Amino acid sequence: MIGALSRAFDRFRGSGDAAVTIPSMDGAFRPNHKLDTASAVLEIAAPDNIGYDGRRILFTSDSALFELKLSTDPAAERIAEYEHPLASLDVHPGGAIALGLASGGITLRGGDHDGRRLDTVEGRPILCPTAVRFIDAGTLLVCLGSQRNDPTQWTRDLLDGNSSGSVWRLDIKSGKGTCLADRLAWPNGVIVPAQGRVVIAEAWRHQLIELAGGRGRPLLSDIPGYPARIAPATNGYLLAIFAPRSQLVEFVLREPRFRQRMMREVDPRFWVAPSLHHALDYREPLQSGAIKQLGELKPWAPSRSYGLIAGLDYGFDPIISFHSRADGKRHGITSCIEADGRILATSKGGNLILGVEPAREEGPVP
Amino acid sequence: MTPLIEMRNVTKAYRGVPALSNVTFDLRLNEIHGLVGENGAGKSTLTKIMVGVTEATSGNMLLDGKPVSFKTPAEALRHGVTMVFQETSLVPSMTVAQNLYLGDEKLFNRLRGIYIAAQTFLNSMNFSVDPWATVSTLGAAKKQMVEIARAVRQNARVIIFDEPTASLTPEEKYYFFSLMKNLKKRGVSIVFISHALEEALQHADRISILRDGELVVTDNASNFDRDKIIRAMVGRTLSNELYNRKATEGAPRRAGAKVLSVKNLSMGKIVRNNSFTIYAGQITGVFGLIGSGRTETAKIISGIVKRDFFYGGEVRLFGKPVRYRVPRPSVRDGIVYVTEDRKLEGFFETMSIAENLQVGTLAADSIGANMVVRMSQVQELATRWTKALNVRAINSNARVIELSGGNQQKVVIAKSLVQKPKLIIFDEPTRGVDVGAIAEIHQFINRLADEGIAVVVISSYLPEVINLSDRILVYRAGRVVEEFSPAEATEERIMYAAVH
Repeated sequence: MIGALSRAFDRFRGSGDAAVTIPSMDGAFRPNHKLDTASAVLEIAAPDNIGYDGRRILFTSDSALFELKLSTDPAAERIAEYEHPLASLDVHPGGAIALGLASGGITLRGGDHDGRRLDTVEGRPILCPTAVRFIDAGTLLVCLGSQRNDPTQWTRDLLDGNSSGSVWRLDIKSGKGTCLADRLAWPNGVIVPAQGRVVIAEAWRHQLIELAGGRGRPLLSDIPGYPARIAPATNGYLLAIFAPRSQLVEFVLREPRFRQRMMREVDPRFWVAPSLHHALDYREPLQSGAIKQLGELKPWAPSRSYGLIAGLDYGFDPIISFHSRADGKRHGITSCIEADGRILATSKGGNLILGVEPAREEGPVP
Repeated sequence: MTPLIEMRNVTKAYRGVPALSNVTFDLRLNEIHGLVGENGAGKSTLTKIMVGVTEATSGNMLLDGKPVSFKTPAEALRHGVTMVFQETSLVPSMTVAQNLYLGDEKLFNRLRGIYIAAQTFLNSMNFSVDPWATVSTLGAAKKQMVEIARAVRQNARVIIFDEPTASLTPEEKYYFFSLMKNLKKRGVSIVFISHALEEALQHADRISILRDGELVVTDNASNFDRDKIIRAMVGRTLSNELYNRKATEGAPRRAGAKVLSVKNLSMGKIVRNNSFTIYAGQITGVFGLIGSGRTETAKIISGIVKRDFFYGGEVRLFGKPVRYRVPRPSVRDGIVYVTEDRKLEGFFETMSIAENLQVGTLAADSIGANMVVRMSQVQELATRWTKALNVRAINSNARVIELSGGNQQKVVIAKSLVQKPKLIIFDEPTRGVDVGAIAEIHQFINRLADEGIAVVVISSYLPEVINLSDRILVYRAGRVVEEFSPAEATEERIMYAAVH
């Protein structure tokens, strides 16, 4: 009762949850052009899910699995093609590859369980596998983003305000699984920083949480964007942030009637929602118009897309970031890894694989 | 040429302790004479003797070659000698125009005429001050402008400025120095006391340096440089300690955990949609012109003033939303604000150092926790902090009003530190403080950041911001508009961001 009254009062005065605020990009998140100036390793349509097993660099693009060949003239070698788009990927140093399918289910390639397919866990269908991670050669951690939408429908899931995601530990051989946490808001990345620890990127709540006893303890909250995959780096971790938060979207998320009508009547391409790519159509909402300040192009309206990678220390505190700003095109960074002495990142919105080389003075991370 | 004012072998002793010893000083016609020295060097005593605030124990003063001895400031003013004090002598409850004409009223005053004349006069000096405004509503810079205007209006031949630029923004300083040059052209001679050595070097014709009540040197400004002045002032060079980052610290500190997150903070027209983050173990420098909302933002965070009731934004301390209505709960949560106006808000001037520090602990403890206070504990606390901060006083029972500016500032800092802050906001920590004390305060601020405390330093002095900070936030029109790293920050870039 008191909580309801408090929420009503917050709505009246625009405070608390109704403040419609977003964190500023300052400190470690201070904008720069490091993704815009990074080298373009490979041009390919909608690259996603990059992984590295110590020998091979693999990535997905739509329904195909590729190996990235780094040389003077980088190229992608198609390894396999699937019937449905690939939603997630992890590679084990032993050679096994786990792939999450956008249509549901997980398939294994190589290693001891080559060809194994997992479609259910504890009697529930494996829907929306947004991230997978090997704990060891026989055990997988799986993030299921939503029970209602598949990975391609992520904007709908955000606008619906869903929090039906879950994280599972799966024994590949027996197919048995344990639910580590549920009612998560689009878990979209997972990492095992140490034996027994599991850290999840919860996109719609803009946070990284550590799972313990079925509950999540926030490690990094109030991220200025929607986090995606996490990868280990030399002295910490790399976090891909696939879209920026904006007050406009936060406001729309607080207006259910407007939102429902928009989703009913407007083409999904033109919804007021985060996006993976730069404005390409004049009908997209509020992308035109900008001012130049201190040599930077600053849009009147908040950008719906952005390119951002954060370097985190071992405590998951951000210490450095790499940006493609409103006037850049290397947006929608969905995953990144450290390999070949640099950061390799998939810009799904920019149709590129990027190679970012941090300046020496920026230290060893990442 | 006969000097306009000449002080010959002037000595002033208080209870047998000399504040000035055998000082000889002269001010020439049409001259800007810089007077520099550490706090307690005797600058104020010398100038107070010139304007009749106090009398010399021995020695002579000559005006136009004739011996004079002023008993009161009014008598000095009749002879064309006046002083603009650091703490303005305006009547706060009166309007600007009334203050300008104070003591010069006619039997039947026509108020409208006074206001029109005041407006015309202020305009002629390029001062944007409303003559109808009550002085108490003015900021420090505008009070200073009114004080200067009053001196000029009284047709003074000699004006002594005591730290005139301490509370002015760079833009206002520019106007002030233009005014000083205009006064010089009109035949006014100026004594200019300043702790900002660049100002003395740039704008004075000659410079005199006092140390421990004695005149060390007088020479043309062109014969000095910054190091030479500092050497003469303190007997050693402090330039590297003060404003050379590489010599003191090297690379900026990395950000620790997020301590404070301010999002879309708003308060009327002063703070508008302001967002920024403060991290542990770092010094965040804040620069902005007066009126840019930097102090007001700090005061909202620490509960001294309130943000807008409707859509006032959000402040999170360690991830938890906070909204303080009074400072006490913010102090208990670990937020400490060290005021820019130490004399008005920083301490109880007639109380001792020990009592002031005890007052600091009262705010941090829960109500009733300190109902009974042991004097031995208070003394022990005071002794510890005066030693830690190197407060130079006879003992911890010395009244704060008796201390020099630098030592007063150290007491204000100590009073804040006894509250065990997690986030400390220094607002103009070295304003009106001599170079020796500035170095000590800077070292102390650095030590706090090294210990992992989140430190914010608001300063109008660009070299201080650039060299002390690990990151620099620039304010304009009520919000943070730019962030610079120390490596890329230059005075020009910061000023450009603050103005345009």
